[in-house]
Amino acid sequence: MGNTEELIKALAQDATPVKPVAHPFVQCAKWMAGGTVYVALSVMYLGLRPDVMTRLHSPMFVAELGLLGGIIVATILSAALLAFPDMHQKRGVAFAPVFAIMLFVLAIFLAWQADNPPSALPEHNVECFLCITSLALLPAAWLLYSMRKFASTHPYLAGGIALLCAFSIGALALRLSEQTDSMAHIVQWHYLPMIGVGIVGLWLGRVFLKW
Amino acid sequence: MDKKAALETLMRLALAGDQRAYADLLQETARLLRPFLARRLNQSDAVEDLLQEILLSIHKARHTYDGNRPYRPWALAIAKFRLLDHLRTHYADHLRHAVELSEVENILPGHVTESALTYESIAGEIDKLPEKQATILQMIHQQGYTAREVAEKIGMKESAVKVAAHRAYKILKKKLGG
Repeated sequence: MGNTEELIKALAQDATPVKPVAHPFVQCAKWMAGGTVYVALSVMYLGLRPDVMTRLHSPMFVAELGLLGGIIVATILSAALLAFPDMHQKRGVAFAPVFAIMLFVLAIFLAWQADNPPSALPEHNVECFLCITSLALLPAAWLLYSMRKFASTHPYLAGGIALLCAFSIGALALRLSEQTDSMAHIVQWHYLPMIGVGIVGLWLGRVFLKW
Repeated sequence: MDKKAALETLMRLALAGDQRAYADLLQETARLLRPFLARRLNQSDAVEDLLQEILLSIHKARHTYDGNRPYRPWALAIAKFRLLDHLRTHYADHLRHAVELSEVENILPGHVTESALTYESIAGEIDKLPEKQATILQMIHQQGYTAREVAEKIGMKESAVKVAAHRAYKILKKKLGG
């Protein structure tokens, strides 16, 4: 008991003024702005797909891009909330990516059904996954580094969400630049690896978000 | 000012650098958390150690509290996180040091009926064990239940029954000079 009293005294003496971190919505807006700029720069670097205007007339393509964007927004919001010990007392909002992913999976399923007869498979395969992963490295590092400044009590989940977000950013950039419409290829090499990346993120969260 | 609002006010003052308010807040937090931890841990030393760890974590994470939302859920989230960490480490240590029941049984006679050492012959020593350990040994060696059946009957996990039995065997081994 005595030790606790002494600890409280010592901590109180260390109580210098502290500036609270920004509200999660402000943090979310900052990360969103950063993500948007990054997608734009990546597309500029990789080159916009030549048939983008035609493809934007396809409701399935627009839905796919929109929902991928939705995953990015939901995961950024969730990451911002998960960075706080109490999720800023907005637990329901922190689980928004679940709904975004469900809608996305549905849209991909419908797009796959609509890809009939199937579009020609591109010659490359794993290159897409490697490209998305490379594009995701910087956002992932940035997100994890920013989240370290907070105090997450859900490090696994926070890490998984951060990597899912970074990978979605990479996937969106590649989808806007690669002229491929084979849903079989896109599902296999663009979106399915998201599951593995999310799992790696759980582990990274444990390592990097420890405090 | 009611107590609940007082905590938020104290934290706001603490964030502004008021050392007195911060000391009061930590005292109040310790008062809040002590029973919470005591209900979940059975050693008072562990309660006090963990409480100190939680207070340190609250200190480290105070920049994530802005004073505009209830303080108690924020502090409790940190407390639960540290408690889970503590329990995870605690049970991981136990599992590391735990010996399989089959290994432990090697130091006991294979067939109780054929050995000079029967349950009845050491019943006196078993009775001196902590109540839960004695009950577990009695159920396994006198009534013939398996660890799983004991676990079901007394509402414990099978692994916990094995660990308790293992501890009991170690005590008995020491006492009986095994």
